[in-house]
Amino acid sequence: MNTQRTLVPAAVPLAPEATVRKPRPLLAVALAMAIFSAAIALLANAFWLSALTSAMALSLSVAGVAVLYGQLGLVSLCQFALVGVGGWVTLRIGHGLQPPFEVSLLAGGVVAALLGLLFGVPALRLRGLYLALVTLMLAGAFQIVISAWGFPDGGPGFLGRADGVGRSMLARPALATEAVPYFLYCAVIATLGLMLVQAHKITRPGRAWALIRKGETVAIASGVNVLAYKAWAFALSGFLAGIAGGLLAGNVGQLEGRAFSAFESLNLFALATVGGAFHWYGAVIAGLLLRALPALLTDLGIDGYVTIGIFGVALFHALATAPTGIAGKIASLLERVSRGAER
Amino acid sequence: MIEIETLSVRFGGIKPIDQLTAMLSAPVSGLIGPNGAGKTTLLNVLSGFVRPVEGAIRLDGRSLLPLSPLQRVRAGLRRSFQTEQVVEDLTARDNLAALADNVAAVGERSRTTDRALDFVGLGSVAHRLGARLNLFERRLVELGKCLIGTPRLILLDEPAAGLTDEEGARLRDLVLAIPDAFGAQVIVIDHDVELIRAMCAETLVLDYGKRLALGRTETVLADPDVRRAYLGEL
Repeated sequence: MNTQRTLVPAAVPLAPEATVRKPRPLLAVALAMAIFSAAIALLANAFWLSALTSAMALSLSVAGVAVLYGQLGLVSLCQFALVGVGGWVTLRIGHGLQPPFEVSLLAGGVVAALLGLLFGVPALRLRGLYLALVTLMLAGAFQIVISAWGFPDGGPGFLGRADGVGRSMLARPALATEAVPYFLYCAVIATLGLMLVQAHKITRPGRAWALIRKGETVAIASGVNVLAYKAWAFALSGFLAGIAGGLLAGNVGQLEGRAFSAFESLNLFALATVGGAFHWYGAVIAGLLLRALPALLTDLGIDGYVTIGIFGVALFHALATAPTGIAGKIASLLERVSRGAER
Repeated sequence: MIEIETLSVRFGGIKPIDQLTAMLSAPVSGLIGPNGAGKTTLLNVLSGFVRPVEGAIRLDGRSLLPLSPLQRVRAGLRRSFQTEQVVEDLTARDNLAALADNVAAVGERSRTTDRALDFVGLGSVAHRLGARLNLFERRLVELGKCLIGTPRLILLDEPAAGLTDEEGARLRDLVLAIPDAFGAQVIVIDHDVELIRAMCAETLVLDYGKRLALGRTETVLADPDVRRAYLGEL
């Protein structure tokens, strides 16, 4: 035990470097997102602004899927259902109690987190194909529930359905009622969400998740509480999906049940892999693919359904040749450039 | 000191460990035996992944079997695996920090991580990703992980597998320095008899889940029964 004291001085030179390293990835997220959002806010017209607002919101839900897939190696195919849950709760609270938008949004996030946790229960026993199947069934169950219930639109009762008479729209947050401010509002929240995920990745939860992905035996032998860290990942993923749903609800003021089919959850997962589940900007890329690419095709006068074909090819490409997705390609390109610059 | 008392493990009709009683007290002890002798099963019983049907195990007088695997890690049990388990997308330092997160007090984590890194000599590659470490460095990361916090018993499962003679010798020197530097007892499982001879003062030989021999390594390795069962001599 005496040796512990004598060996300590040698360890000192390492510590400062380690502490300096941590905040940088977070700063990079904030900086990149600020430049990207500012450019869009200055350049985009009303049509594009709406599409890109949705893209920003959805990038949050993709970030949630990426936590489960990229960090834990778990395939969850019910993420879009959780987006729907967040949207439903945000609308319900918003219409029922008329609190500030942020309160409804947070409620949506929290309820989706709890449900995400519940949806994650099978993952404590299942993984791989079986977990994928079970979560896909949950997405299917949500599809049935939401097509029967519909989204609240200002009516009375638990379901809040106005049934054609006096449908009302959810008011946007007080400080961002117009299109451009609301886009920036979503961009700020998306940035905060992405930074939250990034902060998890580079600290204690990220290390624990990495060990669980390596193998549960290894994780337990390293003192990791596997159950708690898995549960936390599902709750975080659900929270991000719920916030995404709330932001979507705020974008147009209402949501459409048909937009929340199980297929959308599949699509979201597929594009999370195409965008890249291992880098934070993979989520932004996936968000753009989900909402900006269809908008682009519409702008060019091409049928929006063509995107499904494009996504199929992109997914095949990602699975066959680029498992780290577009973001992974960008990351290795950046690394090569920076190495070249060093020389 | 680790005491094993009439320990039996049953998998269906097979008893990989059968009425094993042994006491290991040397700072570095060896555990050898032919394939299927029950070495890895014993390791899994010690770390809590396999539950025995009967028997008791005490580490420094404290009963180990009632503890869950996690509680054992917190109580100072550390182990490495036959195939190295370094996480590719964490740095060497973060691979060690991942353990410190769970077994060391908040203020101690950075210090215990750096101390272990320095001890195994990975300070210069602390920020290199696991994927970029060579096999020797990976083995050292595995060894370093065992030194995080306050280790009391360290189980090394073929720590030198795949290493060159030179690397093996370096690893051996490190392992031999652990008991004095960290106050932990080490048990090494390996097929390499020369490695065991060079490292371990005391050795337990298992055969068909039973104790074949236990004692000073030189004496044990010279035992005719051991030579017959393990070294293949008639």
